[in-house]
Amino acid sequence: MTATTATLPPEPLDRLAWIGRVWPWLFLLALITFFEAWSQARIGRTFIFNGYNLQAILLAASAPLMLAIGQTFVIITAGIDLSVGFVMGLAAVILAQATLAAGDSNAALAIGVGVTFLVCLIPGWINGVLIARLGVPAFIGTLGMYGVARGAGFLSAGSGMTVSIDHEGLAWLGDGWTPIIVTVVFLLGAHIVLSFTRFGQYTYAIGGNPQSALRAGINVKRHLTIIYILSALFAAVGGILYTARYSAGAANAGESMLLDSIAAVVIGGASLFGGTGKVIGTLIGALIIAVIQFGLIFLDVNAFWQFIAVGVVIIVSVLIDQYKEKLASGK
Amino acid sequence: MSSRRTVLFSLAAFALSALISGPAVAETKKPVVALLPGVVDPFYFTMHRGAQQAAKEEGVELLFQIPKAWNTAEQVPILKALIAKRPDVLLVSPVDKQQLVRPLKEAADAGIKVITIDTYIGEGKYQTGKGSADFPISYIASDNAEGGRIAARALAKAIGGKGAVYCENNKPGISSTDQRLQGFLEELKKYPTIKVLETQYNEDDANKAAAHVAAVLARTPDLAGIFGVNTFSGKGAAEGVRKAGKAGQIKVVVFDAIPGIDQDLKSGLVDIAIAQQPADMGYWGVKFAADLVRGKKIPAWKGTGFVVMDKTNIDQPDVRKFIYSN
Repeated sequence: MTATTATLPPEPLDRLAWIGRVWPWLFLLALITFFEAWSQARIGRTFIFNGYNLQAILLAASAPLMLAIGQTFVIITAGIDLSVGFVMGLAAVILAQATLAAGDSNAALAIGVGVTFLVCLIPGWINGVLIARLGVPAFIGTLGMYGVARGAGFLSAGSGMTVSIDHEGLAWLGDGWTPIIVTVVFLLGAHIVLSFTRFGQYTYAIGGNPQSALRAGINVKRHLTIIYILSALFAAVGGILYTARYSAGAANAGESMLLDSIAAVVIGGASLFGGTGKVIGTLIGALIIAVIQFGLIFLDVNAFWQFIAVGVVIIVSVLIDQYKEKLASGK
Repeated sequence: MSSRRTVLFSLAAFALSALISGPAVAETKKPVVALLPGVVDPFYFTMHRGAQQAAKEEGVELLFQIPKAWNTAEQVPILKALIAKRPDVLLVSPVDKQQLVRPLKEAADAGIKVITIDTYIGEGKYQTGKGSADFPISYIASDNAEGGRIAARALAKAIGGKGAVYCENNKPGISSTDQRLQGFLEELKKYPTIKVLETQYNEDDANKAAAHVAAVLARTPDLAGIFGVNTFSGKGAAEGVRKAGKAGQIKVVVFDAIPGIDQDLKSGLVDIAIAQQPADMGYWGVKFAADLVRGKKIPAWKGTGFVVMDKTNIDQPDVRKFIYSN
């Protein structure tokens, strides 16, 4: 934020910054109010003030959110990571396979988690090298890794697509509120890193203007590589939580979550041009998507309206983003 | 920005006024049944229509939501939203035998009666008191082994009871197609003059299936018939036969009656299609659900039938109606 907004004229800056920051919150609040009112009026039951419903919405948000956290860092650098969905699937399968191979104890689970992180370092590192050092556009480099991770995931799963694992500790990790709490912990960690550390400042600087970041003495190549590795590791956590929730690792675990993860970041106010974005914004974006999906099903609206609703929200978000860019460049 | 705020508030006000003026729901005691199939597909839309008919007959409120992809991560959030609605009965086609066990247990624990349709969890044996996946009340689906036997008989008849045949399969480990293959092989043992070749696995890739035909034909020139266990296997096998210039000579039997199968039968690309009856599955699902709500006993398993389609009967209305539709 600081890198780009510093050059803005003061008057539109205040208004735009205000809109950019506040509208996702207002929108989420309006959505919840709307669904609550509708639910009360039509079926005489609460929408949100119910433990089960709240948990279901948060769980639905938390799965793509884990991918979206890493994606936030990547998008702030004006990049994109299309491989996260299948890296998540790869992680889900590797966790199941490695834990099974290591035995049945909690120590085996720890080994499984360790192996999963190690394996997922590889696609992240390759993404980073391709994009930061070899100058491959992020869209193409990570699209290639999308295919590689997909194939690797299915191969690791063996003959079928899924690897079942019956493990008490793992089941605990996937039960009830636990995956939500884990997600919140990672979310807070990422928020602190991005907002309050030098690493975060560098990330914004690279996205705002890589040339001046370079001149300012930031090791841009190294920093970008680390960010793509981070993205893959968040995807790995997503895969671990998946295997925990469903007692099975599936190679297609994250297939449907890639687009939701990008949507969450964009709705949360990050610009695909780089330089802006907040982890908390991404959280709001993921919550908006989850509330729309859960709400429309809860009210028995045809499933296809969900796609339209989420699509419209994305378009509006990007329009607001464009509008900000336009004013920022003084046109 | 003040104008934006005004817009937002007026939208909210509009929505609220629409709600309040709308008809309030009367407190009815209609049983609520939720139908959650596997994926957007003509097979499942046909199932939904059967369910709607039974819902009308039984005075049941039917909820219907459908995942956009065959994927646990797609189906489970929808399942959770349906559980939150507390229907009396949930009719579901679980997309995975293992991964859906815990999410469906959640529904059962919430007091919702679970019936699986078309696909199952665990071993598909319910109410046995054994294992962690026996809690659903009933499983309604095609008897796939019987479907395989029907395919075998139809193919045997089409090739005049002699020659070599083989099964073009998806991949091993899938309950439905494994059972079709098993029934097919079992039945063919009754025909000593038919030679059964090795089963080929195409992993749901029609191109691979077509390549298999060429390879099998090179080794076995007297190939007389092929059984494609599902849509892609059948399509690929038919394509392979056509490319080899053997259309009409090598008979192709395909499982499922997707839209357009009538054209394929008439053009001779496919000789016989075995249609499942998804409408019946949906119909019996809702009938069973209504019985459950009224406290009646229902069987733990119900098989639905098949319709054998070929060029001679496909124009008859009582056969045509079994082609799946969107």
